Order: sequence, then structure tokens, then C-alpha cells
Amino acid sequence: MDVNVDKTLDCKGLSCPMPILKLAKEIKTMESSQVLELLGTDPGSKADVPGWCEKTGNEFLGMEEEEGVYKFYIRKS
Amino acid sequence: MGNDEKGAWRQLWNTFFGKTWPMWAAGILLALLNVCLFLVKSPWGGSGTYINWGENIYSGLKLFGLSGIKPVLSHTYGLLGLLTLLGAFAGALLGREFALRIPPPGEMFKGLLGGILMALGATLGIGCTIGGFLSGWAALSGGAIILALGFVIGTYIALRYLLWEMENLPRMSTGKSYTWLAAKAGGGVWQPILGVMLTVFLLVLFGRRFQNDNVLAMFAIIGLLIGIILQRSRFCIVRAFREPFMTGESEAPLGVMVALAVGIFGFTVIKYMGVGTSTPGAARVLAMTWVYPHFWLRALIGGTIFGLGMTVAGGCAIGTIWRAGEGQVKLWFSALGFMLFAPISKKFIVPGFAHILPEWAQQKMFLPDWFGYWGAMLLFFVLIVLWYVFVKWNERTGRFSAV
Repeated sequence: MDVNVDKTLDCKGLSCPMPILKLAKEIKTMESSQVLELLGTDPGSKADVPGWCEKTGNEFLGMEEEEGVYKFYIRKS
Repeated sequence: MGNDEKGAWRQLWNTFFGKTWPMWAAGILLALLNVCLFLVKSPWGGSGTYINWGENIYSGLKLFGLSGIKPVLSHTYGLLGLLTLLGAFAGALLGREFALRIPPPGEMFKGLLGGILMALGATLGIGCTIGGFLSGWAALSGGAIILALGFVIGTYIALRYLLWEMENLPRMSTGKSYTWLAAKAGGGVWQPILGVMLTVFLLVLFGRRFQNDNVLAMFAIIGLLIGIILQRSRFCIVRAFREPFMTGESEAPLGVMVALAVGIFGFTVIKYMGVGTSTPGAARVLAMTWVYPHFWLRALIGGTIFGLGMTVAGGCAIGTIWRAGEGQVKLWFSALGFMLFAPISKKFIVPGFAHILPEWAQQKMFLPDWFGYWGAMLLFFVLIVLWYVFVKWNERTGRFSAV
């Protein structure tokens, strides 16, 4: 994905609820309109991450998948 | 294969396995399968599986002087759980979601600890989120309501712990992790093909058992279906209890509420009509199915411990099974902790505990005895509606959500 990533959060190997807990914590440390790349391996995250973005009003930019690793891109509102 | 044919197969696959199945749909299907299990012999449960698996291990190692332990393939719940595991494996393969996912060491430890706590909670409290709660509410057991209360308390405490741990012990959830055997993004047909082969193989293998043992064959086939449905929908009772305190999102609680409603209705019909019985005595035994002597303190204590364990592990008894089938190694440790500790708790801890606890703290409470069948059903439906109202209100206001 063609996006300037400001921070990467590695949640590979973590399963529910850790990825979302860490995502929420990390976003708090970032500034508005910065982009976070979250790496994860829990299939549940495919629905959880966009869902969390919608709930919290952050922008979900998209997801890529590579060899079992999901890469989520979130822009802090 | 021509391009058109390839496209058609892909479309078919996409329809069923391209996306996660909705939880409310899974809730209905699972409740219906639960009713089927009850009609065949006895309701759906999770902890019975681990107790049987664990007892088989100890019996094989000649420890603890266990005797008369039924082998897994001959035990209703041992077999049910095994097929649920294989069904989840098949479901993950079909959806191209299987991968061996090895988390950081701290997470594996939490998995093990969670499993041990669940074993303790399920044996003390008599029941887990499936047998004690999903089936327990359907059984119109008053103790099941207290058990659920215990789960709420345990889940809340454990979530607060996880949040604290993230800030103060970050190393528990950070570190090297490994992901192996994942499907290639966008392409890759080996997983779905393997999934189909496995499903067909299991259906044929266990379908043949109908020739000698109907009950076991039914438990096997239903177990397989349950496993596929659980993995495809990611149905999770931990979520149902935890989500209001976390993101406030309501899909998981709603899915469970639907399962409860359908289960309550189906079980009540069976109990009220005395299905399959021909004497009042037998009908009474049937009516008391899955009503355990745990009202109320026993259910509260056991439920809280179980709630702690399941949240720390990241899956309840059945959630552990389907996530293990999907390749999540943290939950392999949870399953290990559960099956190794459950027989120990059952043999060495529960008797003393039940002895110390006063009689009035561990009663069988069959609500129709107090309110009649209609009254009891109404009570449960009122509780479900109240839960629904709370969840929806919390979703809107975010009052209790931490994240």
C-alpha cells in the first residue's frame, strides 16, 4: 500500500484481545493524521481492526496480507 | 480447467468461506445442534471433554489410581471435543485461515495459566461457558444464572489485569513470534482442498459408526459441525462477556443471546413434553438434566475463577478448542493446562471444597419448581432482554468501555 507510515506496531503472534488493546494504547501516543501500521496474525483482527476504527472515529485505510501476516493501516483522526 | 470454471469455483468458495459468518447465525445453528445433542443423549458441554482427555492421559501413565476411564473415541464428550477440534481445523483450512501461530513466551504462559484456572473454575463451579451457561440457562437452572454472574466478575477483573499488564509488564506480550504454514495471500488452494478432504474423510469415518453406536456417531458428526461453525463464525462467549468492558461492540453478546433464546426454547419443549420418557419418574430425571448442585456460592466462586482463566487464556473451554484447531499455539497451552489440571482438581480439590461449603450454598435449583415452566422461561427471557438493553446502551454511550 502506498502510504507514509509513521509508526509500526508489531502484534504478530498475539491473539484476541491483545492486538486491539495494544492498538488503542499506541494510537494515544500519536498525533492527528499520523499513520500507524499494525502487523498481526490473528484472523479475528481482520474484522476487529476496521471495527475498532469505526467505533473510535479513526480512519481505516486498508489491509494487506502476506504469508499469514496481516498489515493494517490506520490514520489517527 | 477453463477460466470460467475456475471463476465459478472461486465464487462458490467466496460465498461460504470468503468472509467470517455472522455470530447471530452461528448462535442459532449452535443452539439447534445443542438441542440435537440433548435429544440424542445429553446437552453440549466443554469441560467434560477436557476431564476425559486428562483422565485418559493419567490413566495411561498409571497415575492417581484412575480406573474405568473410557477412551476418547468411546466417550461422548471426549469424542465431541475431538471432532470439534478437527472441525475447527477443517473450517480454518476451508477459509484459508490456518497457520501455526507461535506467540511470545509470556503469552504461552498465560495460555497455560488460563487453562489451569478454567479447569479449577469449571470443576469447582460445576460447568463452563457452554455446559454451565449456554446449556445451563437452556436447562432452566438457577445456578446457571449465578455462574454467568461469576463469569462477568472474573472477566472484568482479568481484563483490568491485562490492561495493567500491558503498561507495567509489557514483556509478557512482546517478543519473537513465528507464523508457519500460512496460506499464500490471494492465491493458494491447498488449504481449502485439504479442508474438503478432511471433512469428507471424517464424515465417512464417523458416519460408519452409525452401524454400531448411534449415540457416539451423532456426537461425532455434530461435533464436527460445531467445530466448523465455531471457527467460521469465530463465535466467542469470552467476547460476549468482555466486549462491553472493552470496545463496547455488541455483535458477540447478541450472538450469545440468540443462542440462549433458541436453546431455552428447545430444551424447555423437550423437558416439558418429557420427550422420550414414559413414566413420571423418568420425566423428572429428564427435567433435571444439567441442573447442578451449585446454587449459589459454588457457582459464584467457580464462575469467577473460570471467568479469570478464560479471559487470560483468550478462549473459554470451547474457544480454546476452535482456536487450537486454527493453529493458535497459545491456546494449545490453554488446552494442555485445562486437561492436565481438571482431573487433579476433580479428584483432590473439589471433594474438600464441597465438604467445607455449607449445604445451602450448593443446591440444585430448577426454576420451574419455583415459577412453573412459563415463569421460568419468562425470567430467562427478561434477563436476556435486560442484558441486551445494557449492551446496546453501553455501545452507544461507551460508559463501561475501556478501549
